[in-house]
Amino acid sequence: MTEVGTLTAIRALFPVLAALSSLALVPLIRLWRGSERDDAAAYATFGVQLLLLATSVGAALAGAGYLSTLKVGQITIDPSEPGRLLVLLGGIVFAVIVGAGEGRRAGTMGQIALFGIAAIDLALAIPSGIAPIALLLFASLGISGTAASGKDDVGRARAVFRDLRTVSLLLPAVVIAEILRTAISYAAVDASYATPASLAAGTALGVSLVLIAAAGVFPFHGRLIKIFEALPIVGSLLVGVWIPSALALIVMSELSALASSITDPLGGAIVPGILLAGAATLIFGAVSALLHDDIGEIVGFMAVANSGWLALAAAAALQSPTDTSSRLIVLPGMLTISLFGLWLVSVRRRYGTTSIRELGGWARRTSANGIALIAAIVALAALPPGAVLAARLNLLLLGGNPLIAIFAVIGQVTLIVAAIRLLLVGFTPQSQTVHEAETRPFANLITISLVAGSLFVAAAAAGWLALESGGTGPLPPAPSVSPAASFDPVPSSEPSVEPTPSVSASPEVSPDVSPSGSGEISPAP
Amino acid sequence: MPSFELPLVLIAILAGTLAVTSAGRGAWVAIALLALTSSALEFSIADPNHISLILRLSAIGIGLAAALPENLFEREALRRDLALGTLVRTLRDHPVVVASAVAGLLLGLVPLALPIESSSDALRAAGIALLVVGLPPLLTSRFIEATTRAAVVTLSGTLLLRTSIFEALDPLGALAIAAGFTCILVVGGSVATRISNAEEER
Repeated sequence: MTEVGTLTAIRALFPVLAALSSLALVPLIRLWRGSERDDAAAYATFGVQLLLLATSVGAALAGAGYLSTLKVGQITIDPSEPGRLLVLLGGIVFAVIVGAGEGRRAGTMGQIALFGIAAIDLALAIPSGIAPIALLLFASLGISGTAASGKDDVGRARAVFRDLRTVSLLLPAVVIAEILRTAISYAAVDASYATPASLAAGTALGVSLVLIAAAGVFPFHGRLIKIFEALPIVGSLLVGVWIPSALALIVMSELSALASSITDPLGGAIVPGILLAGAATLIFGAVSALLHDDIGEIVGFMAVANSGWLALAAAAALQSPTDTSSRLIVLPGMLTISLFGLWLVSVRRRYGTTSIRELGGWARRTSANGIALIAAIVALAALPPGAVLAARLNLLLLGGNPLIAIFAVIGQVTLIVAAIRLLLVGFTPQSQTVHEAETRPFANLITISLVAGSLFVAAAAAGWLALESGGTGPLPPAPSVSPAASFDPVPSSEPSVEPTPSVSASPEVSPDVSPSGSGEISPAP
Repeated sequence: MPSFELPLVLIAILAGTLAVTSAGRGAWVAIALLALTSSALEFSIADPNHISLILRLSAIGIGLAAALPENLFEREALRRDLALGTLVRTLRDHPVVVASAVAGLLLGLVPLALPIESSSDALRAAGIALLVVGLPPLLTSRFIEATTRAAVVTLSGTLLLRTSIFEALDPLGALAIAAGFTCILVVGGSVATRISNAEEER
């Protein structure tokens, strides 16, 4: 391989290389410090945190473009802008969470995070075929299996078992959707087939099912709740929020392309069904978050509510394929839940409990945690009103059903109330547990990184930073699940989503190379 | 290859059926046989590029090595569990599964009003038969090892059905699916071990 080829490979596969290097780094650190010494775990954690931050910076510098596109024979790895954005933010988010989590297994959790974000980057870099979805589903299974290891906990093992079953069922759904979509082109010329609209509805159902089941939308919300109950927070966030969100980007791109490839309205009750599932999930998650007294469960229900927004976005992508609001809400949602996860892990580490009854006065005792929760609430409310809030409102308008819109607004407001309730508990008189807990001074590396990280992530989630999440342009399309070059796309049915400027500092994005997986679905001739 | 196709299809379906109906040694040997035959069907031996086939077989080999229970290769027990009489008795004890496999095979041979008319009959029949055999236990089984094996049978069936209509997976797709097979087997094995350890402690 030439020098240029090697550099290209490094750019294209940077997150994967960083994840693989952690397999050598952590044992080396343990060897250096001696596995019996107390500080070996702390050094390993610090090393993995540095690697996470390096991944973040490296992905930003490599960017998504011509010089980062690796071609080996028939294989193309073309890092996408959404993928690189997720790595950029994921590296920072998980570095802070791993730091706040501390403990003996923090280094392992950091490694899991590295592999998780590498899988997301790689999946969003594969232009077509079932590979991206398969990669994300199996990465999710692998991560939940690894995160649950370490102790013989039946609850954890059963959560992983549930995941195994879900993943194994979703791949046939994708393949059936692929087959149905191929039939759309035949249906347009041969009357013996079902109509293109009904075949498109079947395809949309199959593809949406992947999103609905993986993200934990009603009636699959139980899986998400079990994940948050059983797995450590890094594993929960990756399996329950980050990987489903990456899947959502792929699915929404696919749905947009599918909807724009047919002229008749989509057959069946697919759109109303997804809308209803989304609104029900949002309301269920929000009300449950308000009624529960365990902060671990509350964060789990917030994740459920967030998956409701993903379902509403999927319906909007079907209703209005050219509108990009659906893709704009994915990133803020996942960052917001990650912020709540960061707050949860920090509070649990400090006070050793997750019960609200025992956490009275927590914010007065540890103000850094208070700042983290306020940041999360600001991100949840998307304040001050800007692109993120506008995108959410636009989604509700695109849904075209006032009742669904009202339910969604009520759900979101309830969710904010549930979060404010957590904050108010922090200002009540201090409980015995809180009073007796050891705290560390504010001027401490972990505390400072917690505060700085929370503010940065909240700024990205609320749309203050000029990232795609809240910026002016739409996210470019994520990879399609279409079989490579089965049928030539029809010009009129191309999705009209335009690429945006790169988030990275990389100046060498070539206009000649289209963004990865530019929606090459196989529509009807 | 076409001359070998029909026997391979029949062996794959039989192995898939035994994988979800047998217990212990018989089931694991059946899974290994299914992996071999379905991979050979999916990535044609005539294909000059064997990388996908090698990947698949290596991945399933690694997964099986990690998931196989202890004492699997005890010669006497293995001979007893794999005796023809035992296998026939197992199939006779599960008439619904056998009937499902036969129904799936017949259903797969009949082209439906989909683009599968132009697809390979034998691969389609094998794919649908394995799907019909694998899906019910995958959905309903409460036993982790049985669910893991059902997942492998279902995934193999899905991929055969896909191959019968489209072509074999591209190298990246093959890599992702190979990793998936390993993942299912390793995670299934580790979950089964953990739950049995926890139950023993209790």
